Amino acid sequence: MEGKEQDGSGQRSSPFMPMFETFRSELDEHHDRRERIIKASRDITASSKKIIFTLQRIRALKQPLPQHAIKSNKQYHDTIKTQYASVSRDLQGLNAHRYNRQITGGCQEWMEAASFQHYLETATLIAYDDARKLLRGLDAEGPGVDLSAEDYVLGIYDMTGELMRFAITAMATSGELPKIPATSAMDGEEMDVDATSAAQQRSVLTDMRELRSALEGLDAGVGPFAKDADKKMEVMKQSVEKVEKALYGLIVRGAERPKGWMPDMDGARAVEVEG
Amino acid sequence: MANNGTGMIQSGVFESLQRKIDEDTAVKDALRDIVQELEKQDRVTQAILSRSHSTATADLPSVLSAAQTNIEKEVVTIQRLSEVASKHPYYKFNYAWTRHVQDACFSILFCGWLGGFGKGDTGQLLNMEEVGSIMGVPVNVKDRDTFHLTIEEYLLALISLADELARLARNSVTLGDHRRPLQISQFIKDVHAGFQILNLKNDTLRKRSDGLKYKSREVEDVVYDLSLRGLLPKD
Repeated sequence: MEGKEQDGSGQRSSPFMPMFETFRSELDEHHDRRERIIKASRDITASSKKIIFTLQRIRALKQPLPQHAIKSNKQYHDTIKTQYASVSRDLQGLNAHRYNRQITGGCQEWMEAASFQHYLETATLIAYDDARKLLRGLDAEGPGVDLSAEDYVLGIYDMTGELMRFAITAMATSGELPKIPATSAMDGEEMDVDATSAAQQRSVLTDMRELRSALEGLDAGVGPFAKDADKKMEVMKQSVEKVEKALYGLIVRGAERPKGWMPDMDGARAVEVEG
Repeated sequence: MANNGTGMIQSGVFESLQRKIDEDTAVKDALRDIVQELEKQDRVTQAILSRSHSTATADLPSVLSAAQTNIEKEVVTIQRLSEVASKHPYYKFNYAWTRHVQDACFSILFCGWLGGFGKGDTGQLLNMEEVGSIMGVPVNVKDRDTFHLTIEEYLLALISLADELARLARNSVTLGDHRRPLQISQFIKDVHAGFQILNLKNDTLRKRSDGLKYKSREVEDVVYDLSLRGLLPKD
């Protein structure tokens, strides 16, 4: 019975057909745009992850990126540019926020990579306005994609995870927490991991704490952004704590630590020590 | 922990972010107040319109004029919403009102189907442009960032109308009106046929429009019951 209605006279005689034909072409246009943006976002996310992967092999802080990192990341930066350029026209005017759900993943991941790279190069947090300019510049010939304050903040949350990985790897390979030299040159100074100097000296950990405190102080209000921020807050706190635990282990047992020993991250050991 | 001033975060970065978020929060609050007003008004309209299930066709005009008077109040609120919302990017905040605009659209469609808004006869569908002009807002805007009625909102309201009419078909029989189920059956079939040419993705519209065939079947059953007993009007 239903088959009859579908292909038979029922469909042809519906007086609403012209109206629905208009709707169909409008909706098709919308879905095509949506698909394009989803695909671009996915590619941007994948390339950003690869950039981060390369950056995590760098050991120097507050230094220009080494040539090998620039070279191996070039292809990923190119992909990101191409992808942003391919959808920038779809994300203008009325549609600037329409596909937020579709593009936000890519923008957050890009933000994570960009802010991590910026941190490695300068040991500072890239400001929102600078990040916005950076993203705008990726589509210099086109209208560009606008970075929302929300995507910026969510990307920064994720960046704390990269700082954690960076700190842990550095501690495992060089036996110390990456420090940030003060404005005057202190490079040649003996690096001893001593509790008092650790408290004064700026390090990746003090920076993570500064970031944590800033993010905790941010009132995200209500709405979808507040929900996303809430989830990331927990992960961010854990990242800071992981580095704190690793540093604790390094200070308590540091002297006995054989070269190449990895800090125990699963937390079991910490409980043992306390008990 | 000492922050020696040459820390990681430049001063002002988070302060200006907080200002931005606070501005958005203020907008959301303003919108919420308007939307709540619309919600309250629409509840009254729907309460009036639901009297149509127990009102004979001859007495419908009084229900319709009461509903229309209340819809006029909704329109005032929609105008206010449009004014505030148009100051901001449409899709940034539209989640705050889309459900309620949809509900208002349904009220207008149902009222129009019953013969309100000068339609006179029952069984007619107000198209999107007509709904837009009743609401006093543009529809399906593509070229500028302003408040409007979207295709999705109109279509979802149309599905709600079909659901409501399926219920009305049975209640019409109870009221002794044996002609209206036929009219409703044809109407839902026509709407269903329209939805079938849309290429819907796996979204709300898809899920809700899937229900149309069951509604169509429900009303067909009513028509079948009537024909079996020779209760259908002869012409």
